[in-house]
Amino acid sequence: MTLILGIETSCDETAAAVVENGRLIRSSVISSQIDLHARFGGVVPEVASRAHVELINSVIAEALAEADVQFGDLDAVAACQGPGLIGALLVGVSAAKALALTLDVPYVGVNHLEGHLHAAWLQDPDVALPLAVLLVSGGHTMLVAVVEDGRYKVLGQTVDDAAGEAFDKVARICGLGYPGGPAIDRLAKDGDARSIAFPRPMISEGLDFSFSGLKTAVLNHVRRNPEVDVRDVAASFQEAVVDVLVHKLLVAADNSAAATLVMGGGVAANSRLRERLTAAGEASGRRVLVPSMDLCTDNGVMIAATAWWRLRSDGPTSLAGGANPSLGLVSTR
Amino acid sequence: MSILGFDTATQRVTVGLGLGGQVLGTRSLAVDRQHAEQLVPTIRDLCQESSIELSSLEVIAVGLGPGLFTGLRVGITTARTMAQALGIPVVGVSSLDLVAHPLVGIGRPVVVVANARRNEIYCARYIPTKDGMRREGDYEVLPPDVLAAELAQNDDQCLVVGDGVLTHADAFAKCDCVESDDDQAMYPSAASLVAIADVRMRRQEFCDPCDVHALYLRRSDAEIEWDRKGR
Ligand SMILES: [Zn+2]
Repeated sequence: MTLILGIETSCDETAAAVVENGRLIRSSVISSQIDLHARFGGVVPEVASRAHVELINSVIAEALAEADVQFGDLDAVAACQGPGLIGALLVGVSAAKALALTLDVPYVGVNHLEGHLHAAWLQDPDVALPLAVLLVSGGHTMLVAVVEDGRYKVLGQTVDDAAGEAFDKVARICGLGYPGGPAIDRLAKDGDARSIAFPRPMISEGLDFSFSGLKTAVLNHVRRNPEVDVRDVAASFQEAVVDVLVHKLLVAADNSAAATLVMGGGVAANSRLRERLTAAGEASGRRVLVPSMDLCTDNGVMIAATAWWRLRSDGPTSLAGGANPSLGLVSTR
Repeated sequence: MSILGFDTATQRVTVGLGLGGQVLGTRSLAVDRQHAEQLVPTIRDLCQESSIELSSLEVIAVGLGPGLFTGLRVGITTARTMAQALGIPVVGVSSLDLVAHPLVGIGRPVVVVANARRNEIYCARYIPTKDGMRREGDYEVLPPDVLAAELAQNDDQCLVVGDGVLTHADAFAKCDCVESDDDQAMYPSAASLVAIADVRMRRQEFCDPCDVHALYLRRSDAEIEWDRKGR
């Protein structure tokens, strides 16, 4: 039995989890800083970094207690090493390396994007490859083919805003609070998604995404129609984003001969996107793997699960390792 | 008392080991912004060379700043987490105190100035006593010219020291400064950290890992801006 502690501090969640053999979740603790950043309308890196230092040790202690393990039971300690906010990442990396040194166990630096991918994979670790994966959050929007374990092909990504960023900006336009994703999701349930014909940017132009034009279209529509029902705006905007995401994931699956559709990242918690992806899977005879809601947002489970695979394929990360705020998802083999 | 101490508040990482009131060894290396990369390997190497098992440590001592925010967080997170895993306490000491401490023998007041970026310095004033350096007043963040003008008006013969002297050589040109080629003297001393921690431990002046906090002195820009707008 291999027990790995995974630490995640790349943005505004301080999280830790214990995962057994890369698949059994023994514990998962997430301390969200949303309240700290709400008044600024977005994550403030310096505020996030300071909060991570204050929270990290109690989050680790809670993750161990919930898993009913002691420090001495751990076989490895992992942390997210990027992409993310550099000051925030370094808190998790420092904590993980300090533990690895003190406990004399391997340290594993994990790619955040690979983590999100593994969160979905965790639903069925034995699923047949290849997989077509949509990684979608406030920081990234990306299509990836998993050809074999640890070998990825990035098929497309956003040329401007991430999808989650567009949700936050549209929420601001509609006078909703931060974070925007859950607020739009809630409001859209009572709106008419066909009431406003927002553009579907680049929908038939390859596998890259663009959401900044859509955001501008929403802004212009609201300015020209001050009386518009924000529920209709939310629903129509959300439908446009979901149309693009689902359509391109299906094209990506076709191109890479993937029988399984996978989704990860914060926006994967969007209820309309989950519903539409499930329907698309059924219609096209493909399996759909979507993480449970608590594994969509940033978490320690995805870091610990990825670390287990990485440890087997690449071995430990050097204790001289740091963090890389713009780390990309690249094949390591 | 077996002590591991480190400071990461400046562009240097300094690490020291102490045992039974003696300093076993120290390391000091220029890291620029690579605190996170260098700290843990340096701790590992120093412990190995000194044949100290981490499991035998009784306290972790750490420099609290004020200083570089990211560096501070690396040091404090490492100290808190090592102490948490070992089940031992932490002693936190201001990084400015660690620059002043080795100068207790010079018999005159000392002003420590540390680079705070944005054309400001962190500073604190000290008077040597038979019990060591005594800090007078609070830690402050100031423009270097303001402090230099203040020092020019006093005639208490104080000595200026710290990496703020290196970054603001012009401002402190008329002050009596520690020779700028004495690199070690400009930065927090790991030997001092270990020595101070030894005294504090004997006085039971330590805390739980989670009660160790950085001396930031400055809030984040976003918070300052928020208050400025009066919202
Ligand atoms: Zn994420």
